[in-house]
Amino acid sequence: MDVHSRDYAARARAILRDEPHVREAVIGATVAFDQHRERAYGEVDSDAWRAWASDVKSHALTNLADYLEEAESRLTENGVVVHWAETAADVHSVLEAVAADHGVRKVVKGKSMLSEELGVNDALERQGIEVVETDLGEYVIQLFGEPPSHIVGPAIHRSLEDIQELFHRVHGTPPHATPEDLAAAARVALREAFLTADMGITGGNFLVAETGTLALIENEGNIRLATSAPKVHVALVGIEKVIARWSDLAGMLQLTSRAATGQAVGTFVSMIHGPRRDGEPDGPEAVHVILVDNGRTGMLADEATWEALKCVRCGACLNVCPVYRQTGGHAYGWVYSGPIGAVLAPALLGLDEGGALPFASTLCGACTEVCPVRIPLHDMLLTWRRRTVEAGKAPATEGLLLSAYAAAAKRPALFRLGAAGLQLLPMAVTRRLPFLKSWLAVHGDLPWSKPSFLRRWKAGPK
Amino acid sequence: MRDRILARVRSALADREVVAHPGAFPGPLHAGPVIEAFTDRFRAVGGEVERFAGMDEALDWLEGFASAFAGVAAGADVPAELATKLPTVPARDAPLGVSMARYAAADTGSLVLDSKGGRLPQLLPPTHLVWVRADAVMATLDEALEAGRGDLPAVLALHSGPSRSADIGRVIVTGVHGPGRVVVGIVD
Ligand code: SF4
Repeated sequence: MDVHSRDYAARARAILRDEPHVREAVIGATVAFDQHRERAYGEVDSDAWRAWASDVKSHALTNLADYLEEAESRLTENGVVVHWAETAADVHSVLEAVAADHGVRKVVKGKSMLSEELGVNDALERQGIEVVETDLGEYVIQLFGEPPSHIVGPAIHRSLEDIQELFHRVHGTPPHATPEDLAAAARVALREAFLTADMGITGGNFLVAETGTLALIENEGNIRLATSAPKVHVALVGIEKVIARWSDLAGMLQLTSRAATGQAVGTFVSMIHGPRRDGEPDGPEAVHVILVDNGRTGMLADEATWEALKCVRCGACLNVCPVYRQTGGHAYGWVYSGPIGAVLAPALLGLDEGGALPFASTLCGACTEVCPVRIPLHDMLLTWRRRTVEAGKAPATEGLLLSAYAAAAKRPALFRLGAAGLQLLPMAVTRRLPFLKSWLAVHGDLPWSKPSFLRRWKAGPK
Repeated sequence: MRDRILARVRSALADREVVAHPGAFPGPLHAGPVIEAFTDRFRAVGGEVERFAGMDEALDWLEGFASAFAGVAAGADVPAELATKLPTVPARDAPLGVSMARYAAADTGSLVLDSKGGRLPQLLPPTHLVWVRADAVMATLDEALEAGRGDLPAVLALHSGPSRSADIGRVIVTGVHGPGRVVVGIVD
């Protein structure tokens, strides 16, 4: 994929200046996601669940070589073809070979951040293969020709009006069609794609070593269809997705769903154990799993940041992040945005390209508070800042976020909206106010800190 | 490639302290009657639930229910006695899909479906009728998956309500790709 992370400051400014509606849409969506998560955490003993989930992932990661080998054996016994890929180019060649073997002309895709990281769509299209994104949000941004702006809600930066206009152009729906009508138009187009595609490509939420289970969570049913209707299914799975036991799955599925959308569990979960078996009426004749490194082994070796590999891509840290809320994901310039994106960027892209993103943060700690697998995100952001400064690669403008906020503060209406979003931060964040206060004291004369804004911070959430 | 990746993983972990497995999922504390809990959960996300004291009651209801549909695609694992009198049509054309759940889980409101009887009747028709035996409704998803582990088919799937999306204007729309109407028949 194209990466523009080093341009974070300029991109953030451009979004705030030229696309003010993005901020409104992103704040609306992230505040709603976060409220759902908060309610869902409150219904269970979320501290106990998260401590458990953190250990499930850490256990798997600290024994990763053994569990990868076990997963490979079980997958193979289940009739799955296992491939290993060190780089995006390796993944492209596997896909090319599998597609050629099966005479693939059309691919339906389930939402996969890893496939965005690897630039899979472009690679397939260069081979003359038609690629159709089938998650509704992904379908929308594919039509817009944009990358996703959020791990869970790829199109949250787009308003209903934007999508009405798009579908009017593409599908001839009425200019003010309802969301139901728009979804119905997409359903018709995509149903045709499911029934005519030769290959389905998905990511994977979890890979269970003990049983070789590939588990996928979704809400629409498009992943179930993409893994059931075409004759070939290929799953792209980062090596960090392995968990040890079948009995880990029920808890991980539930916690991930609660953190992402507040649901008890996603509407559909697929637990895949290979291709269609003798006597089964339908299902793919071949299932391939590509185990992808693409920089992950390097992260694993880094004592200070390996725990970021525990991430289950729930998006909770994006939703609660006051900086992400200002611009949405496109400012970050690559597939992963928000706090987890800022931790992964320097690790996977290097300091030159990714070193700017850890500065796109207030270090308020809200991300760490909500993370279902207890990744110490703000500590890692500090680590990366320090390393970037030590390497002499710190971004020119001190505190990139500052420039973004300065731009926002010039637009009072938007600014209030952002401040209202900030107010919804969990209680725990306000406990960290002393840090923020000292930061504000140093920078208090800058145009972004309106008195009312400070008062709201001091008053804490209502 | 494989060996290089595994060698890098091993060398990355050479000095890393191993974290012990935390054991069983602490899980939700479950209290109260299981079928009622499942019913509440499933209805809360827009699903429908019918409960029958026995096969006769289920068949009576089925006759009325099925009369609204012109054809059916039924999974091969649906018991013969629960067959409708509707003409069988391919799943892609069927207004109604019928399948048999292996288990259900009350805490998450999930049906546990199996690929053995066929996947497409569970996915393509706009309405999905799912039968489940009352004694197959478990208190927790943990228990339901534990019960299933001895016989893992090509796909074990959880369906926890109608297909939904909030990707357009943050409005929840049902029936996006999978069925927009899901009716569960629990038979004692
Ligand atoms: S870092 Fe934590 S909160 Fe953020 S996406 Fe990953 S798991 Fe979710």
